[in-house]
Parts: sequence; C-alpha cells; structure tokens
Amino acid sequence: MDEFKSGFFIGGEACEGRVLVVDDEPDIRKVVKMTLQKAGYEVLEAENGEKAIEVINCGENRLLLDVVICDIRMPKINGAEAIAYFRSNYPRVPLIVLTGFPDTDMATSFLRQGVVDYLVKPVEGEKLRAAVARAIEQRELARL
Amino acid sequence: MESSDLTKVAILGAGRGGHALLDLLYHIPSIEIVGIADHDPAAPGLQRARELRIPVTTNVPDLIGNHGVSLILDVTGDPDMETYLHAHKPPTANVLSGSASRLLWKLIQHESELEAELLQSEKLAGIGSFAAGIAHDINNPLQLILGLAENLAEERDLIAVHEQAREIIEAVKRASAICRDLTRYSRHASPHQDVLVSVNEKLDEALKIARYASSLHDIEMIKQYQPGAAVKGNPDELLHVLVNLITNAVHAMELVGGTLTLETKLFAGQVHVRISDTGCGIAPDKIHEIFEPFFTTKAPGKGTGLGLYNVNTIVNKMHGTIAVDSQIDKGTTFTLTFPSAEPIEQGNPS
Repeated sequence: MDEFKSGFFIGGEACEGRVLVVDDEPDIRKVVKMTLQKAGYEVLEAENGEKAIEVINCGENRLLLDVVICDIRMPKINGAEAIAYFRSNYPRVPLIVLTGFPDTDMATSFLRQGVVDYLVKPVEGEKLRAAVARAIEQRELARL
Repeated sequence: MESSDLTKVAILGAGRGGHALLDLLYHIPSIEIVGIADHDPAAPGLQRARELRIPVTTNVPDLIGNHGVSLILDVTGDPDMETYLHAHKPPTANVLSGSASRLLWKLIQHESELEAELLQSEKLAGIGSFAAGIAHDINNPLQLILGLAENLAEERDLIAVHEQAREIIEAVKRASAICRDLTRYSRHASPHQDVLVSVNEKLDEALKIARYASSLHDIEMIKQYQPGAAVKGNPDELLHVLVNLITNAVHAMELVGGTLTLETKLFAGQVHVRISDTGCGIAPDKIHEIFEPFFTTKAPGKGTGLGLYNVNTIVNKMHGTIAVDSQIDKGTTFTLTFPSAEPIEQGNPS
C-alpha cells in the first residue's frame, strides 16, 4: 500500500514524514517546525484543536499524516478534547503531547488513551526528533 | 438603632494609637466618634479623621465637655492628661486611659496583624492554583529560547542570527515579567500605606494575575474604564480584591466560556467598580453566605473559603461597599463603591 508509506517526495526532496503541530503559540509552532524541517519532515500547523481537526480532515492529510504533536492548554477545542477526537477517528495516527505543564496524572491518562509520548516544554530538538521518529516507527510496525 | 444604644466617643491623641482606634471604631454602627484631639495638627490620626469627615480639634475641654460624650479614649500616653480627665470629665462619661487604653491599642494591633496574616495565607493558598498557568507561560518562552539557541549554533546567515538573538531577548523579558508580577503580588501588603490608587491600572494588573489561575482563552473581555477613577487605599490590598473577584468570575464561566465585563465609573463623588460574568451564578439561598469565612462552593482542597471574606474586609477598610447581583445560569455582578479620591496625575501611578 504505497499511499500509506512515509518517505514520499515533496519538491524533489526526500520527506521523512508529515507532522501536524497543534499549539496556540505561534512561537512554539515556529521553533517546532524549524527543528523538524531540519530533519526532513514536512510540518503543518494548527492553532487550536478545532483547526487541527480541520487540517486532519483536509484532503490527503487523512491518509498521509504521520504524527500529531499537540499542546494541551489551548482555546476553542483544547488539547485533551482534540486528542480524544484523533484517537477515535484516526486511531492509526500517533499522537505526541507537548505541554508546558508537567502533570503526572494527565500524562498517565494520555498514555493510557494511546498517546505515544508525553513531552514537557522546553524539549531539546534532538529529543523531539527522536520522539517523532519513534512514533513513525511504531506506526509502521502497527501496519505490518 | 435607638439613640440610647449609641456610644459617643471622643478620642484624645491622634498618633498611631488614635489612628488605629479611628479605623476600628468607624465601622461599628453603635459607635459615633464625636471628635479626635491632638496638639499636633499634622498627627496621622487627624489626617485620617479629616478624610472620614470626623471633627478634629486641639481643644480638649470643649471636645469632652460639650458633645454628650459617653466614652473618652485617651491614647496620648501623657500622665498629666489622665489626671486632668479624672478631674474634669463630665460625670456621665467613662474614661479609658493609661495602661487600660494601651492594652486596648495592643489588642487592636494584634487583630490587624491577624487580619494581615489571614489575607496572606489566603493569597498564598490561591497562588498554588496558579501553577499550571505559570508553567505554561514560562515554559513556552523557554521552548522558543531553546529552539532558537539550538538553531543559532548552526545558523550561518548573519541576518537570521541577529533576528533570532532579538527574539531570544524578547522571550526572556516575557518570562521574567511573569516572575516580577507574581512576586509583587505574593508579597505581604505593606501596612498603613494608604495612597491614591488608579482603579483602572489595578484592574489590568489583576487581569494579568488572574490569567494564571484560570485560562481566559474562551472568555470575551469587555473593558469600560472611565479615565481618572482613583480611590484611596492600600494598592496591594485593592489588587488582591480585584484578583479574587476576577478569578471567581472566570471560574464561574470555566466550562462554557462567556463574557467578562470590567467597568469603572465616577459618579456623585464615588467610584463604582463593576466585575460581571455570564457564568453559573450563585444560588439565592447561598448569596447571603458568600462573605462568611470558610464558605466555599469549591471541592475540598480547592478553595480556602476566605476569598470573599477578605474581599469584604478590605473593601470595608477602604470605606467602600459591595453589592452582589446574581442569577443562576445567567451570571453574577459584583459592584464595589468607594469614595472617590482626587484623580491621579499622569506619570504618578501607584
């Protein structure tokens, strides 16, 4: 099933995968994008859960989105609600939480819901890229 | 109140003791302060009395002899005054002087210290609930700083380097402003610092603090400030009042969102401050209890039950009043009314 495979081509460059970053802070989206683009990922942005749901339902994203990185404290549809939506509608897309507020109970509950990683800001680029790579790997394994 | 229940009090001595007595007795409905005397016209108690429109004099015989005084409180600390009073007081008047009045003053001081402690503990308990908001607002700039710094280590484009260095500096400023606001808020209110306070500025400052207690994302803000709204009081304490009321308003709209209206108005020598939400409202059978100490509708461990109690204490101290209007599922409006102070000159905020 070729269309499910990561590593497609965009503008002639090899793409490691397509990542959606959901955060209400434009600064955060910018640095996460910067960090992931360097490692060859294509990065889409959404400023809240509502927009994220729009993005994931848009055209080929439904099939080609490899990872969602999601903040929790956001306006409109917040992170927890967006995650619940993604889990029930797009169970195959791995979710990574990237939050400013470390909360053990919340982390446990998200991981139980199937979130693959729970990262607390500020997170080093290397760690973030590793988490994304790991999530994509798990997605590939799940498909085998 | 029948006139026979009214205690007419004369205060002698307008130093710190006289000042404290004034503030305490002024709020007791069964007491009328007929006047305060001191030989020093600049004594702090005399200034306070003028603000409260209580007669001020240097003439002790007139004060104690001609106004139907039933209680003379002598806090001059002068043994000659004590002797004079016992010889010349009206036969129907009681005198509290010497060690007895010193003891009274000590008790008043003790009470005001307890009040300050209560306020501080409630404030600190509240700050515990700010943790999520503070973490969010500090870790976001930190993420930006870290990301940019990692990028800078490899960046070759000098223009990009300059631009990103500037962004880092701005992010550091944002994070440090959070710490500055919160340390200012968490400190002990400095005692006896009644100054002119701009209500509009304090409302904006309170909004910044309230953001940590609860997310304001889904809340529409309406600000209707009348310029020059100023009151006399302790700026730290007024801030505490406003943070409390705004936080409550935001909590009342927590699950559904809504509109928060902040309004100031100058009218007939008074300043009106209105804090309105469109939240869950207060049940009619609970509305009379909200200013009672330890009354809370929050889950155990979530609220101290001292918020509105302290709000009421402070507003009374500032010679203001509070009115509450609430409807279930429609919202709540708190209106504070204070005597207006002279408008603050530009560039001299407190």
